Amino acid sequence: MMRGLLTMATFISVVLFPWPLTAFLAIVSAFFEPFVPLAVGLFADTLYYLPREGAWPLSTLFGAGITVIALFVRSRLRADI
Amino acid sequence: MYALVVALLALFFRLLAPNLFWHVFTPVFRGADILAAKSHSFINGFGHTAELALENERLTNENVALTNENQALLQEVTGQGALQRTSGILAGIVARPPESPYDTLTLAGGSKAGITVGQEAFGPGNVPLGVVSSVLADFSRVTLFSAPGMATHGWIGQAALPLTILGAGAGALQASLSRSAGAVVGDIIFVPGPGMLPIGSVVRIDSDPSMPGVTLRIQPTLNLFSLAWVELRTTGAKLFPPPLAEETSTLP
Repeated sequence: MMRGLLTMATFISVVLFPWPLTAFLAIVSAFFEPFVPLAVGLFADTLYYLPREGAWPLSTLFGAGITVIALFVRSRLRADI
Repeated sequence: MYALVVALLALFFRLLAPNLFWHVFTPVFRGADILAAKSHSFINGFGHTAELALENERLTNENVALTNENQALLQEVTGQGALQRTSGILAGIVARPPESPYDTLTLAGGSKAGITVGQEAFGPGNVPLGVVSSVLADFSRVTLFSAPGMATHGWIGQAALPLTILGAGAGALQASLSRSAGAVVGDIIFVPGPGMLPIGSVVRIDSDPSMPGVTLRIQPTLNLFSLAWVELRTTGAKLFPPPLAEETSTLP
């Protein structure tokens, strides 16, 4: 329930709030759902990114980076347990 | 995992039916704007200052518009401008920088309203903001001069020294100039309009003693985060660097 609400809030913040808050919520969500940062990054770029020389889809790239880190940390934690 | 599926579906929706996609999301952005305005009033309501805050905001915007008109007229008087008042296309803003890290504006007007790629966008007071970079049937995108990678030719101060203005992202601009040019904080930056139109002013000068030049940090004249509409006109401005692929579509 809590995870779902957090994921929803992260998606809503893409439209409602400045991007630093969205990034913060995405990082917090990654502790529970590692794919949320990638999903939110993809969603943000779907709304705002415009392909142009020198302009990278930064939201997706950062989201993917956070997701990879989250998956790595989770796999290490499982291995330790 | 469901979140990723939702994001992918949104992406496919955007790619397959971009115009319909923006029709669906426009009410969402409008709702966000209303919510932001309400919360602004609510916060200012403490201490009964809401009216004063709104009045202050209105007067600030009016002052900016008058200052810009004054600067443009001053250039005309000194023989360096050739202002021609031309009517453009008014378009409301659907999404603006606070929600957008890429310094683009999404406008509620597209090819049906006569908007074409390459038209220049002006804010209140005839302030140049950016260039139309993609057009759909009912929506269009403006890439702001402050977008990273954007380069605009302009001038600084009443002496009209030429310089290249670079987008620094998040609504900021910067430019490099020779130290001997003697630029000072407060100098006005102009871009071609028609005539010379003020785009911002120097707020900080970064200087490295080992370098022959200085870096000017420029603040745009208008607050890009509170714009509600823009006027689009054909001025011959070019988007530099150009978009990879012009997103012009007749899809629903």
